[in-house]
Amino acid sequence: MDAMDCILSRNLLSDLQDGTLDPATEARLAAHLRGCGECAGAGASLLAVRKLLRSLPPDPAPPELLQGILAAVEAEGRDAGADPASVGADATRPFLSRFRIPLEAAAAVLLFASVYWYQYRQPPAPAVRPPSVLSYGPSSEAGKTSASRPMAAIEDTAGGSPPAVRLPHGNPGTARKAGPAAPKPRTWTAENLPSAPAYFASTDSERIVPVVPSHGPTDDPAAAGTPAFGEMRSAGAEGGADSPPSRVFAAPPSRLLRPLPYGRDIVVDVKREAREGAEERIAGAALLLGGIVERMERDTAGAAPGATGTVRVILPESAAARFIEEMDRIGTIPPEGKPVATDLPAGPRPGTVAYAVRIRVR
Amino acid sequence: MERPGGKGRPVDLLVEGFRKGTPGAFEAIVRTHQDRIYSFCARMLSDRDDAFDAAQEVFLSAWRNLAEFRGEAALSTWLLRIAANRCLNRIRRRKSLSEREAPWPEPAGEGEDGIVFQPPGGEADRPDRLAETCEMGKILTEALSRLDPGSRWMVLLSDVEGFSYEEIAALADVPVGTVKSRLHRARMAMRRLLSPVA
Repeated sequence: MDAMDCILSRNLLSDLQDGTLDPATEARLAAHLRGCGECAGAGASLLAVRKLLRSLPPDPAPPELLQGILAAVEAEGRDAGADPASVGADATRPFLSRFRIPLEAAAAVLLFASVYWYQYRQPPAPAVRPPSVLSYGPSSEAGKTSASRPMAAIEDTAGGSPPAVRLPHGNPGTARKAGPAAPKPRTWTAENLPSAPAYFASTDSERIVPVVPSHGPTDDPAAAGTPAFGEMRSAGAEGGADSPPSRVFAAPPSRLLRPLPYGRDIVVDVKREAREGAEERIAGAALLLGGIVERMERDTAGAAPGATGTVRVILPESAAARFIEEMDRIGTIPPEGKPVATDLPAGPRPGTVAYAVRIRVR
Repeated sequence: MERPGGKGRPVDLLVEGFRKGTPGAFEAIVRTHQDRIYSFCARMLSDRDDAFDAAQEVFLSAWRNLAEFRGEAALSTWLLRIAANRCLNRIRRRKSLSEREAPWPEPAGEGEDGIVFQPPGGEADRPDRLAETCEMGKILTEALSRLDPGSRWMVLLSDVEGFSYEEIAALADVPVGTVKSRLHRARMAMRRLLSPVA
Protein backbone atom coordinates (compact mmCIF):
# COMPACT_ATOMS: atom_id res chain seq x y z
CA MET A 1 0.00 0.00 0.00
CA ASP A 2 1.38 3.39 -1.01
CA ALA A 3 2.02 5.95 1.66
CA MET A 4 -0.21 9.05 1.74
CA ASP A 5 1.19 12.45 2.56
CA CYS A 6 -0.51 14.91 4.90
CA ILE A 7 -1.70 17.34 2.23
CA LEU A 8 -3.49 14.66 0.28
CA SER A 9 -4.94 13.12 3.38
CA ARG A 10 -6.35 16.42 4.61
CA ASN A 11 -7.89 17.07 1.22
CA LEU A 12 -9.70 13.78 1.53
CA LEU A 13 -11.06 14.32 5.00
CA SER A 14 -14.43 15.66 3.86
CA ASP A 15 -14.84 12.79 1.43
CA LEU A 16 -13.96 10.37 4.19
CA GLN A 17 -16.62 11.86 6.45
CA ASP A 18 -19.11 11.89 3.60
CA GLY A 19 -18.34 8.23 2.94
CA THR A 20 -17.68 8.84 -0.74
CA LEU A 21 -14.16 7.43 -0.94
CA ASP A 22 -13.47 4.20 -2.70
CA PRO A 23 -12.41 1.38 -0.38
CA ALA A 24 -8.76 1.40 -1.43
CA THR A 25 -8.34 5.13 -0.87
CA GLU A 26 -10.25 4.94 2.36
CA ALA A 27 -7.95 2.21 3.58
CA ARG A 28 -4.85 4.23 2.68
CA LEU A 29 -6.25 7.33 4.39
CA ALA A 30 -7.20 5.39 7.48
CA ALA A 31 -3.71 3.98 7.62
CA HIS A 32 -2.25 7.45 7.36
CA LEU A 33 -4.52 8.84 10.05
CA ARG A 34 -3.51 6.07 12.41
CA GLY A 35 0.08 7.11 12.09
CA CYS A 36 -0.31 10.91 11.82
CA GLY A 37 -1.64 12.71 14.87
CA GLU A 38 -1.91 16.10 13.19
CA CYS A 39 -4.03 14.82 10.33
CA ALA A 40 -6.14 12.79 12.71
CA GLY A 41 -6.68 15.89 14.83
CA ALA A 42 -7.58 17.90 11.75
CA GLY A 43 -10.11 15.28 10.82
CA ALA A 44 -11.63 15.32 14.28
CA SER A 45 -11.87 19.09 14.38
CA LEU A 46 -13.34 19.15 10.89
CA LEU A 47 -16.02 16.74 11.98
CA ALA A 48 -16.70 18.89 15.02
CA VAL A 49 -17.10 21.98 12.85
CA ARG A 50 -19.53 20.23 10.62
CA LYS A 51 -21.54 19.09 13.58
CA LEU A 52 -21.58 22.60 14.96
CA LEU A 53 -22.77 23.98 11.65
CA ARG A 54 -25.45 21.33 11.47
CA SER A 55 -26.72 22.30 14.88
CA LEU A 56 -26.63 25.98 14.16
CA PRO A 57 -30.09 27.22 15.11
CA PRO A 58 -31.83 29.83 13.03
CA ASP A 59 -31.91 33.32 14.31
CA PRO A 60 -35.38 34.59 14.99
CA ALA A 61 -36.57 36.99 12.37
CA PRO A 62 -37.47 40.43 13.58
CA PRO A 63 -41.22 40.84 14.14
CA GLU A 64 -41.42 43.61 11.64
CA LEU A 65 -40.33 41.28 8.85
CA LEU A 66 -43.76 39.64 8.63
CA GLN A 67 -45.54 42.95 8.61
CA GLY A 68 -43.18 44.27 5.98
CA ILE A 69 -43.73 41.27 3.76
CA LEU A 70 -47.49 41.36 4.07
CA ALA A 71 -47.55 45.08 3.43
CA ALA A 72 -45.41 44.66 0.32
CA VAL A 73 -47.60 41.86 -0.93
CA GLU A 74 -50.74 43.83 -0.29
CA ALA A 75 -49.33 46.84 -2.08
CA GLU A 76 -48.32 44.76 -5.05
CA GLY A 77 -51.65 43.02 -5.14
CA ARG A 78 -53.39 46.37 -5.06
CA ASP A 79 -51.24 47.65 -7.90
CA ALA A 80 -52.06 44.55 -9.92
CA GLY A 81 -55.76 45.09 -9.37
CA ALA A 82 -56.18 41.99 -7.32
CA ASP A 83 -58.02 41.75 -4.09
CA PRO A 84 -55.45 42.46 -1.41
CA ALA A 85 -57.51 40.61 1.13
CA SER A 86 -57.18 37.40 -0.74
CA VAL A 87 -53.47 37.17 -0.62
CA GLY A 88 -52.83 34.02 -2.54
CA ALA A 89 -51.87 32.50 -5.79
CA ASP A 90 -55.24 33.27 -7.29
CA ALA A 91 -54.60 36.91 -6.80
CA THR A 92 -51.66 36.75 -9.16
CA ARG A 93 -53.34 34.75 -11.85
CA PRO A 94 -55.15 36.28 -14.78
CA PHE A 95 -58.80 36.75 -14.07
CA LEU A 96 -60.15 34.26 -16.56
CA SER A 97 -57.61 31.61 -15.74
CA ARG A 98 -59.01 31.39 -12.25
CA PHE A 99 -62.23 30.07 -13.73
CA ARG A 100 -60.70 27.82 -16.31
CA ILE A 101 -62.05 24.57 -14.93
CA PRO A 102 -65.51 25.96 -14.16
CA LEU A 103 -65.69 27.40 -17.67
CA GLU A 104 -64.73 24.09 -19.17
CA ALA A 105 -67.31 22.33 -17.07
CA ALA A 106 -69.93 24.86 -18.05
CA ALA A 107 -69.05 24.39 -21.70
CA ALA A 108 -69.43 20.65 -21.38
CA VAL A 109 -72.78 21.00 -19.68
CA LEU A 110 -73.93 23.49 -22.30
CA LEU A 111 -72.85 21.19 -25.10
CA PHE A 112 -74.68 18.27 -23.56
CA ALA A 113 -77.78 20.34 -23.02
CA SER A 114 -77.67 21.61 -26.60
CA VAL A 115 -77.41 18.13 -28.04
CA TYR A 116 -80.19 16.89 -25.85
CA TRP A 117 -82.35 19.85 -26.67
CA TYR A 118 -81.70 19.39 -30.35
CA GLN A 119 -82.68 15.78 -30.18
CA TYR A 120 -85.70 16.40 -28.12
CA ARG A 121 -86.92 19.58 -29.76
CA GLN A 122 -85.79 18.96 -33.30
CA PRO A 123 -88.40 20.75 -35.35
CA PRO A 124 -90.77 18.13 -36.60
CA ALA A 125 -90.90 17.78 -40.29
CA PRO A 126 -94.22 18.37 -41.88
CA ALA A 127 -96.60 15.77 -40.82
CA VAL A 128 -97.93 13.14 -43.11
CA ARG A 129 -101.24 14.42 -44.16
CA PRO A 130 -102.50 11.90 -46.62
CA PRO A 131 -106.17 12.71 -46.30
CA SER A 132 -105.74 16.28 -47.36
CA VAL A 133 -103.03 15.87 -49.87
CA LEU A 134 -103.66 12.57 -51.49
CA SER A 135 -104.62 13.21 -55.01
CA TYR A 136 -106.22 10.42 -56.88
CA GLY A 137 -105.69 11.86 -60.28
CA PRO A 138 -103.85 10.01 -62.97
CA SER A 139 -100.13 9.74 -62.66
CA SER A 140 -98.01 8.77 -65.56
CA GLU A 141 -95.06 8.17 -63.28
CA ALA A 142 -96.95 5.65 -61.26
CA GLY A 143 -98.24 4.05 -64.37
CA LYS A 144 -94.77 3.54 -65.71
CA THR A 145 -93.67 2.01 -62.50
CA SER A 146 -96.56 -0.30 -62.28
CA ALA A 147 -95.82 -1.68 -65.67
CA SER A 148 -92.50 -2.90 -64.47
CA ARG A 149 -93.85 -4.66 -61.45
CA PRO A 150 -95.59 -8.03 -61.31
CA MET A 151 -98.72 -6.67 -59.86
CA ALA A 152 -101.45 -7.68 -62.21
CA ALA A 153 -104.11 -6.92 -59.71
CA ILE A 154 -102.98 -3.36 -59.53
CA GLU A 155 -102.71 -2.90 -63.24
CA ASP A 156 -106.23 -4.18 -63.64
CA THR A 157 -107.72 -1.69 -61.26
CA ALA A 158 -110.54 0.49 -62.37
CA GLY A 159 -109.48 3.87 -63.60
CA GLY A 160 -106.33 2.64 -65.20
CA SER A 161 -103.41 4.28 -63.49
CA PRO A 162 -103.09 4.20 -59.76
CA PRO A 163 -103.51 7.48 -58.00
CA ALA A 164 -100.60 9.71 -57.60
CA VAL A 165 -99.55 11.27 -54.36
CA ARG A 166 -98.82 14.94 -54.08
CA LEU A 167 -96.30 16.04 -51.54
CA PRO A 168 -97.86 18.21 -48.92
CA HIS A 169 -94.89 20.51 -48.62
CA GLY A 170 -93.71 20.88 -52.14
CA ASN A 171 -90.56 19.76 -53.77
CA PRO A 172 -87.84 19.37 -51.21
CA GLY A 173 -85.23 20.29 -53.73
CA THR A 174 -86.71 23.63 -54.48
CA ALA A 175 -87.51 24.20 -50.89
CA ARG A 176 -83.89 23.73 -50.01
CA LYS A 177 -82.96 26.43 -52.46
CA ALA A 178 -85.74 28.73 -51.46
CA GLY A 179 -85.02 29.09 -47.82
CA PRO A 180 -83.13 27.74 -44.91
CA ALA A 181 -86.14 26.20 -43.27
CA ALA A 182 -86.65 23.50 -45.88
CA PRO A 183 -87.71 20.50 -43.91
CA LYS A 184 -86.61 17.07 -44.64
CA PRO A 185 -89.43 15.11 -46.24
CA ARG A 186 -90.67 12.52 -43.94
CA THR A 187 -92.34 10.49 -46.62
CA TRP A 188 -91.57 9.46 -50.13
CA THR A 189 -93.80 9.05 -53.02
CA ALA A 190 -93.36 7.60 -56.43
CA GLU A 191 -92.14 10.99 -57.61
CA ASN A 192 -89.48 11.65 -55.07
CA LEU A 193 -88.62 8.20 -53.89
CA PRO A 194 -84.86 8.22 -53.61
CA SER A 195 -82.56 5.47 -54.56
CA ALA A 196 -82.52 2.39 -52.46
CA PRO A 197 -79.54 3.16 -50.21
CA ALA A 198 -80.81 6.57 -49.30
CA TYR A 199 -84.22 5.11 -48.84
CA PHE A 200 -82.93 2.65 -46.36
CA ALA A 201 -80.83 5.15 -44.51
CA SER A 202 -83.62 7.61 -44.26
CA THR A 203 -86.04 5.22 -42.77
CA ASP A 204 -83.78 4.66 -39.86
CA SER A 205 -83.65 8.33 -39.10
CA GLU A 206 -87.36 8.88 -39.25
CA ARG A 207 -88.93 9.86 -36.06
CA ILE A 208 -92.43 8.64 -36.66
CA VAL A 209 -93.52 5.66 -34.71
CA PRO A 210 -95.31 2.85 -36.46
CA VAL A 211 -98.99 2.69 -36.42
CA VAL A 212 -100.18 1.00 -33.36
CA PRO A 213 -102.26 -1.99 -34.28
CA SER A 214 -105.76 -2.14 -33.16
CA HIS A 215 -106.34 -4.71 -30.53
CA GLY A 216 -109.62 -3.56 -29.32
CA PRO A 217 -112.32 -5.81 -28.09
CA THR A 218 -113.19 -8.37 -30.68
CA ASP A 219 -115.04 -11.56 -30.83
CA ASP A 220 -112.72 -13.02 -33.35
CA PRO A 221 -110.85 -15.75 -31.56
CA ALA A 222 -108.11 -15.56 -34.15
CA ALA A 223 -107.54 -11.93 -33.45
CA ALA A 224 -106.99 -12.65 -29.81
CA GLY A 225 -103.60 -13.96 -30.67
CA THR A 226 -102.53 -10.97 -32.66
CA PRO A 227 -99.03 -9.95 -31.87
CA ALA A 228 -99.03 -7.04 -29.55
CA PHE A 229 -97.53 -3.89 -30.96
CA GLY A 230 -98.31 -1.76 -28.02
CA GLU A 231 -101.11 -0.22 -26.14
CA MET A 232 -103.77 1.62 -28.00
CA ARG A 233 -104.78 5.12 -27.31
CA SER A 234 -108.30 6.25 -27.65
CA ALA A 235 -109.29 8.23 -30.68
CA GLY A 236 -110.80 10.93 -28.60
CA ALA A 237 -107.51 11.63 -27.01
CA GLU A 238 -106.19 12.87 -30.30
CA GLY A 239 -109.25 14.67 -31.49
CA GLY A 240 -111.20 11.95 -33.12
CA ALA A 241 -111.50 10.87 -36.70
CA ASP A 242 -112.46 14.27 -38.02
CA SER A 243 -109.69 16.12 -36.45
CA PRO A 244 -106.48 16.75 -38.35
CA PRO A 245 -104.08 13.92 -38.07
CA SER A 246 -101.90 14.12 -35.10
CA ARG A 247 -98.27 14.39 -35.74
CA VAL A 248 -96.89 11.99 -33.31
CA PHE A 249 -93.19 12.04 -33.19
CA ALA A 250 -91.04 9.66 -31.43
CA ALA A 251 -89.11 10.65 -28.43
CA PRO A 252 -85.36 10.33 -28.57
CA PRO A 253 -84.21 6.79 -29.18
CA SER A 254 -83.74 6.24 -25.53
CA ARG A 255 -87.38 6.85 -24.88
CA LEU A 256 -90.40 4.74 -25.37
CA LEU A 257 -92.26 5.11 -28.60
CA ARG A 258 -95.65 6.65 -28.45
CA PRO A 259 -98.51 4.91 -30.19
CA LEU A 260 -100.59 6.49 -32.90
CA PRO A 261 -104.32 6.90 -32.70
CA TYR A 262 -105.17 5.27 -36.00
CA GLY A 263 -104.25 2.41 -38.27
CA ARG A 264 -104.44 -1.33 -38.61
CA ASP A 265 -101.95 -4.09 -38.32
CA ILE A 266 -101.00 -6.70 -40.81
CA VAL A 267 -98.67 -9.56 -40.12
CA VAL A 268 -96.93 -11.08 -43.08
CA ASP A 269 -95.02 -14.28 -42.65
CA VAL A 270 -92.24 -14.63 -45.17
CA LYS A 271 -89.89 -17.47 -45.77
CA ARG A 272 -86.32 -17.06 -44.80
CA GLU A 273 -85.12 -16.97 -48.36
CA ALA A 274 -87.72 -14.32 -49.19
CA ARG A 275 -86.90 -12.12 -46.25
CA GLU A 276 -84.38 -10.06 -48.15
CA GLY A 277 -86.12 -7.10 -49.71
CA ALA A 278 -89.49 -7.76 -48.13
CA GLU A 279 -89.74 -4.21 -46.84
CA GLU A 280 -89.02 -2.85 -50.28
CA ARG A 281 -91.62 -5.03 -51.87
CA ILE A 282 -94.24 -3.92 -49.37
CA ALA A 283 -93.30 -0.30 -49.81
CA GLY A 284 -93.38 -0.67 -53.57
CA ALA A 285 -96.83 -2.13 -53.41
CA ALA A 286 -98.05 0.75 -51.34
CA LEU A 287 -96.55 3.27 -53.67
CA LEU A 288 -97.96 1.65 -56.74
CA LEU A 289 -101.37 1.67 -55.14
CA GLY A 290 -101.12 5.38 -54.64
CA GLY A 291 -100.09 5.26 -51.06
CA ILE A 292 -97.13 6.57 -49.17
CA VAL A 293 -94.56 4.97 -46.95
CA GLU A 294 -94.25 6.53 -43.57
CA ARG A 295 -91.61 4.40 -42.03
CA MET A 296 -89.63 1.24 -42.36
CA GLU A 297 -88.00 -0.54 -39.48
CA ARG A 298 -85.61 -3.37 -39.92
CA ASP A 299 -84.68 -5.98 -37.46
CA THR A 300 -80.96 -6.32 -37.11
CA ALA A 301 -81.41 -10.05 -36.94
CA GLY A 302 -81.73 -10.02 -40.72
CA ALA A 303 -83.17 -13.23 -42.13
CA ALA A 304 -82.89 -15.24 -38.97
CA PRO A 305 -86.03 -17.05 -37.85
CA GLY A 306 -88.14 -14.78 -35.76
CA ALA A 307 -86.64 -11.66 -37.26
CA THR A 308 -89.08 -8.88 -37.78
CA GLY A 309 -89.50 -5.75 -39.76
CA THR A 310 -92.21 -3.19 -39.99
CA VAL A 311 -93.37 -1.05 -42.87
CA ARG A 312 -95.91 1.59 -42.19
CA VAL A 313 -97.94 2.83 -45.13
CA ILE A 314 -100.95 4.99 -45.72
CA LEU A 315 -103.20 4.13 -48.59
CA PRO A 316 -106.39 5.33 -50.14
CA GLU A 317 -109.21 3.38 -48.68
CA SER A 318 -110.11 2.07 -52.11
CA ALA A 319 -106.68 0.45 -52.45
CA ALA A 320 -106.79 -1.35 -49.14
CA ALA A 321 -108.14 -4.62 -50.45
CA ARG A 322 -105.62 -4.76 -53.24
CA PHE A 323 -102.85 -4.00 -50.81
CA ILE A 324 -103.92 -6.94 -48.65
CA GLU A 325 -103.88 -9.18 -51.67
CA GLU A 326 -100.41 -8.00 -52.54
CA MET A 327 -99.25 -8.72 -49.04
CA ASP A 328 -100.52 -12.24 -49.46
CA ARG A 329 -98.33 -12.53 -52.50
CA ILE A 330 -95.27 -11.23 -50.78
CA GLY A 331 -95.79 -13.61 -47.92
CA THR A 332 -98.55 -15.25 -46.02
CA ILE A 333 -100.94 -13.38 -43.83
CA PRO A 334 -101.81 -15.64 -40.93
CA PRO A 335 -105.29 -15.48 -39.51
CA GLU A 336 -104.12 -13.49 -36.57
CA GLY A 337 -102.31 -11.12 -38.88
CA LYS A 338 -105.27 -9.92 -40.84
CA PRO A 339 -106.34 -6.37 -40.21
CA VAL A 340 -109.27 -6.11 -37.92
CA ALA A 341 -111.59 -3.27 -37.30
CA THR A 342 -111.19 -1.42 -34.04
CA ASP A 343 -112.59 1.66 -32.49
CA LEU A 344 -109.69 3.60 -33.88
CA PRO A 345 -109.90 5.25 -37.24
CA ALA A 346 -108.39 3.25 -40.06
CA GLY A 347 -106.38 6.17 -41.24
CA PRO A 348 -105.40 9.65 -40.26
CA ARG A 349 -108.14 11.08 -42.42
CA PRO A 350 -111.43 9.77 -43.74
CA GLY A 351 -110.90 7.85 -46.92
CA THR A 352 -107.49 6.63 -45.93
CA VAL A 353 -106.21 3.58 -44.22
CA ALA A 354 -102.91 3.15 -42.50
CA TYR A 355 -101.28 -0.20 -42.22
CA ALA A 356 -98.39 -1.29 -40.12
CA VAL A 357 -97.16 -4.34 -41.94
CA ARG A 358 -95.10 -6.50 -39.70
CA ILE A 359 -92.83 -8.96 -41.36
CA ARG A 360 -92.09 -12.21 -39.60
CA VAL A 361 -89.60 -14.77 -40.73
CA ARG A 362 -91.00 -18.30 -40.64
CA MET B 1 -34.76 19.66 10.77
CA GLU B 2 -36.54 19.22 7.48
CA ARG B 3 -34.31 17.77 4.84
CA PRO B 4 -34.53 19.52 1.52
CA GLY B 5 -35.15 17.82 -1.75
CA GLY B 6 -36.55 14.40 -2.20
CA LYS B 7 -39.51 12.97 -4.03
CA GLY B 8 -42.86 11.88 -2.90
CA ARG B 9 -43.10 14.32 -0.08
CA PRO B 10 -46.54 15.03 1.28
CA VAL B 11 -48.45 17.89 -0.14
CA ASP B 12 -47.68 21.14 1.60
CA LEU B 13 -51.04 22.15 2.95
CA LEU B 14 -49.99 25.75 3.19
CA VAL B 15 -49.04 25.80 -0.48
CA GLU B 16 -52.31 24.17 -1.40
CA GLY B 17 -54.16 26.70 0.65
CA PHE B 18 -52.24 29.50 -1.00
CA ARG B 19 -53.07 28.19 -4.43
CA LYS B 20 -56.72 27.97 -3.53
CA GLY B 21 -56.66 31.52 -2.30
CA THR B 22 -57.26 30.62 1.30
CA PRO B 23 -56.99 33.79 3.34
CA GLY B 24 -54.05 33.72 5.66
CA ALA B 25 -52.25 30.92 3.85
CA PHE B 26 -49.40 33.12 2.72
CA GLU B 27 -49.03 34.68 6.12
CA ALA B 28 -48.75 31.19 7.55
CA ILE B 29 -46.06 30.35 5.03
CA VAL B 30 -44.10 33.41 6.02
CA ARG B 31 -44.45 32.63 9.69
CA THR B 32 -43.25 29.09 9.10
CA HIS B 33 -40.15 29.91 7.11
CA GLN B 34 -39.19 33.45 8.02
CA ASP B 35 -36.67 32.51 10.72
CA ARG B 36 -34.82 30.11 8.49
CA ILE B 37 -34.76 32.44 5.53
CA TYR B 38 -33.83 35.44 7.57
CA SER B 39 -31.02 33.52 9.31
CA PHE B 40 -29.66 32.36 6.00
CA CYS B 41 -29.71 35.87 4.63
CA ALA B 42 -28.15 37.28 7.76
CA ARG B 43 -25.32 34.76 7.67
CA MET B 44 -24.79 35.26 4.02
CA LEU B 45 -24.82 39.03 4.10
CA SER B 46 -23.40 39.61 7.54
CA ASP B 47 -25.72 42.56 7.81
CA ARG B 48 -29.09 42.46 9.50
CA ASP B 49 -30.55 45.31 7.53
CA ASP B 50 -29.52 43.73 4.28
CA ALA B 51 -30.81 40.42 5.55
CA PHE B 52 -34.15 42.01 6.39
CA ASP B 53 -34.48 43.43 2.91
CA ALA B 54 -33.29 40.24 1.27
CA ALA B 55 -35.72 38.10 3.23
CA GLN B 56 -38.53 40.42 2.28
CA GLU B 57 -37.53 40.10 -1.36
CA VAL B 58 -37.48 36.34 -1.04
CA PHE B 59 -41.03 36.12 0.23
CA LEU B 60 -42.28 38.70 -2.21
CA SER B 61 -40.74 36.70 -5.03
CA ALA B 62 -42.33 33.58 -3.60
CA TRP B 63 -45.71 35.27 -3.51
CA ARG B 64 -45.34 36.13 -7.17
CA ASN B 65 -44.17 32.71 -8.26
CA LEU B 66 -45.67 30.26 -5.83
CA ALA B 67 -48.37 29.38 -8.32
CA GLU B 68 -45.64 27.80 -10.45
CA PHE B 69 -44.09 25.95 -7.53
CA ARG B 70 -44.30 22.31 -8.56
CA GLY B 71 -43.55 20.77 -5.21
CA GLU B 72 -40.63 18.73 -6.52
CA ALA B 73 -38.69 19.89 -3.49
CA ALA B 74 -39.70 21.17 -0.12
CA LEU B 75 -40.96 24.70 0.05
CA SER B 76 -38.09 25.55 2.36
CA THR B 77 -35.64 24.31 -0.25
CA TRP B 78 -37.29 26.42 -2.87
CA LEU B 79 -37.22 29.46 -0.62
CA LEU B 80 -33.58 28.88 0.24
CA ARG B 81 -32.67 28.74 -3.42
CA ILE B 82 -34.33 32.08 -3.93
CA ALA B 83 -32.57 33.42 -0.88
CA ALA B 84 -29.18 32.20 -2.06
CA ASN B 85 -29.59 33.90 -5.40
CA ARG B 86 -30.83 37.09 -3.84
CA CYS B 87 -27.97 37.21 -1.36
CA LEU B 88 -25.34 36.51 -3.99
CA ASN B 89 -26.76 39.27 -6.11
CA ARG B 90 -26.58 41.62 -3.19
CA ILE B 91 -23.03 40.60 -2.44
CA ARG B 92 -22.04 41.22 -6.03
CA ARG B 93 -23.55 44.65 -5.86
CA ARG B 94 -21.63 45.64 -2.84
CA LYS B 95 -18.99 48.08 -3.83
CA SER B 96 -17.10 47.75 -0.65
CA LEU B 97 -17.21 44.00 -0.64
CA SER B 98 -13.48 43.57 -0.53
CA GLU B 99 -13.24 45.86 2.44
CA ARG B 100 -15.93 44.10 4.37
CA GLU B 101 -14.86 40.56 3.78
CA ALA B 102 -11.89 38.90 5.37
CA PRO B 103 -9.24 37.58 3.02
CA TRP B 104 -9.58 33.96 2.08
CA PRO B 105 -7.44 31.97 4.52
CA GLU B 106 -4.53 30.20 2.96
CA PRO B 107 -4.85 26.46 3.21
CA ALA B 108 -1.46 26.06 4.73
CA GLY B 109 -1.73 29.07 7.00
CA GLU B 110 -2.84 28.02 10.43
CA GLY B 111 -1.51 30.98 12.33
CA GLU B 112 -3.22 33.38 14.67
CA ASP B 113 -4.40 35.65 11.84
CA GLY B 114 -7.40 33.55 11.00
CA ILE B 115 -8.68 33.11 14.50
CA VAL B 116 -11.93 34.90 15.09
CA PHE B 117 -11.60 35.32 18.80
CA GLN B 118 -9.14 34.77 21.55
CA PRO B 119 -9.88 31.84 23.80
CA PRO B 120 -10.60 32.93 27.32
CA GLY B 121 -8.46 31.65 30.04
CA GLY B 122 -11.07 30.58 32.61
CA GLU B 123 -12.61 27.14 32.57
CA ALA B 124 -16.13 28.47 32.85
CA ASP B 125 -15.58 30.79 29.91
CA ARG B 126 -13.97 28.24 27.66
CA PRO B 127 -15.28 28.51 24.11
CA ASP B 128 -16.48 24.92 24.08
CA ARG B 129 -18.86 25.86 26.86
CA LEU B 130 -20.25 28.76 24.86
CA ALA B 131 -22.40 26.49 22.82
CA GLU B 132 -24.16 25.49 25.95
CA THR B 133 -24.87 29.11 26.70
CA CYS B 134 -26.21 29.84 23.23
CA GLU B 135 -23.12 31.72 22.22
CA MET B 136 -21.96 29.18 19.69
CA GLY B 137 -24.38 30.54 17.14
CA LYS B 138 -22.78 33.92 17.28
CA ILE B 139 -19.33 32.39 17.05
CA LEU B 140 -20.25 30.32 14.05
CA THR B 141 -21.93 33.25 12.41
CA GLU B 142 -18.87 35.34 12.92
CA ALA B 143 -16.68 32.59 11.51
CA LEU B 144 -18.96 32.19 8.53
CA SER B 145 -18.76 35.89 7.84
CA ARG B 146 -15.04 35.50 7.39
CA LEU B 147 -15.45 33.06 4.57
CA ASP B 148 -15.39 33.97 0.95
CA PRO B 149 -19.02 34.67 -0.09
CA GLY B 150 -18.71 32.24 -2.97
CA SER B 151 -17.95 29.47 -0.51
CA ARG B 152 -20.03 30.72 2.37
CA TRP B 153 -23.35 30.10 0.77
CA MET B 154 -22.20 26.60 -0.09
CA VAL B 155 -21.32 25.92 3.51
CA LEU B 156 -24.62 27.34 4.64
CA LEU B 157 -26.61 25.29 2.19
CA SER B 158 -24.63 22.11 2.67
CA ASP B 159 -23.67 21.97 6.30
CA VAL B 160 -26.37 24.17 7.81
CA GLU B 161 -29.36 23.55 5.58
CA GLY B 162 -28.48 20.05 4.45
CA PHE B 163 -28.51 20.51 0.70
CA SER B 164 -26.84 17.76 -1.30
CA TYR B 165 -23.76 18.39 -3.39
CA GLU B 166 -25.81 17.84 -6.51
CA GLU B 167 -28.37 20.43 -5.52
CA ILE B 168 -25.68 22.98 -4.78
CA ALA B 169 -23.93 22.17 -8.05
CA ALA B 170 -27.17 22.77 -9.88
CA LEU B 171 -27.67 26.06 -8.10
CA ALA B 172 -24.12 27.23 -8.70
CA ASP B 173 -24.01 25.80 -12.19
CA VAL B 174 -20.67 24.16 -11.51
CA PRO B 175 -19.61 20.51 -11.44
CA VAL B 176 -20.18 18.51 -8.29
CA GLY B 177 -16.42 18.08 -7.91
CA THR B 178 -16.00 21.83 -7.77
CA VAL B 179 -18.63 22.03 -5.07
CA LYS B 180 -16.86 19.35 -3.05
CA SER B 181 -13.45 20.99 -3.30
CA ARG B 182 -14.84 24.42 -2.44
CA LEU B 183 -16.73 23.04 0.49
CA HIS B 184 -13.72 21.20 1.77
CA ARG B 185 -11.60 24.30 1.63
CA ALA B 186 -14.28 26.32 3.35
CA ARG B 187 -14.69 23.72 6.07
CA MET B 188 -10.99 23.59 6.64
CA ALA B 189 -10.97 27.37 6.90
CA MET B 190 -13.83 27.19 9.36
CA ARG B 191 -11.86 24.62 11.31
CA ARG B 192 -8.94 26.99 11.53
CA LEU B 193 -11.18 29.89 12.46
CA LEU B 194 -12.84 27.85 15.14
CA SER B 195 -9.77 25.96 16.25
CA PRO B 196 -10.08 27.19 19.81
CA VAL B 197 -13.60 25.85 19.91
CA ALA B 198 -13.80 22.84 17.73
